[in-house]
Amino acid sequence: MPTAAVHEPWDVIYYAAGDGRCPVDEFLDGCPTKVSAQLIAVLDDVADAPPPRYSGGGRWEAMHRDMGGFYEVRAQGPSREQFRLFCILENGTSEELARRGLSRPAIAVVTGLRKPWKTAFSERDYESVRRLGVDHRAQFPRRIKE
Amino acid sequence: MLDTGHHRLRVDERLEDPEFRAEYERTRRELAQVNAIMQSLDDLRVNAGLSKADLAREIGRNDAVVRRLFTARVNPELRTVAALAAALDAEIRIVPRRRRRTTKTERVAPTGA
Repeated sequence: MPTAAVHEPWDVIYYAAGDGRCPVDEFLDGCPTKVSAQLIAVLDDVADAPPPRYSGGGRWEAMHRDMGGFYEVRAQGPSREQFRLFCILENGTSEELARRGLSRPAIAVVTGLRKPWKTAFSERDYESVRRLGVDHRAQFPRRIKE
Repeated sequence: MLDTGHHRLRVDERLEDPEFRAEYERTRRELAQVNAIMQSLDDLRVNAGLSKADLAREIGRNDAVVRRLFTARVNPELRTVAALAAALDAEIRIVPRRRRRTTKTERVAPTGA
């Protein structure tokens, strides 16, 4: 089965909820300007790399355990507030991608969260992210912000 | 197929804000510089005919760590980068992009005659 060339840039897509809301746009619109600029710059850098060639570095990290399968984009704002975007990689054969409505691999950004310095997200926070991820993966084609 | 252009449109809109543009470009440059440094080191390694494992041995680091440095866009420790450069008979330099800023003492008008 043909897959996309390893070094071709990936698309960046935003998950859309059933009611049409886009949690990613809402999150980014609520971030300080510099923070949203950093988050988007990292997203674009990862997409251009693309993701299979990009790991670590503190700004793009694979998540583990219950959040396995997610990647997070990290940025720090005023007063060291922490900002995260949660992403899923959409890769596969061209047939698999076509079934999802995608013409090439993509980084699917599901939502974002913020937290004060030196605090952790709650299990409820992570559960809310996972729920959106499950909803995203259940859609054929994917329901994204267009 | 789905229209996947939303992100690009939003980025283009946001780039009209000078504050956003400056931070976006600064972050992209910073990430690109790290990548360029690692690419330069990898080119030197290939030219020297060294495998990644050879280089790892040279600097006393684990094979997997060095392999990952050269195959993924990572944020390596400066000490590791300096060790890699030294092992490849190279050195790291900082090159100012613009002319040096005038220092405080230079801005003070000279006294006396």
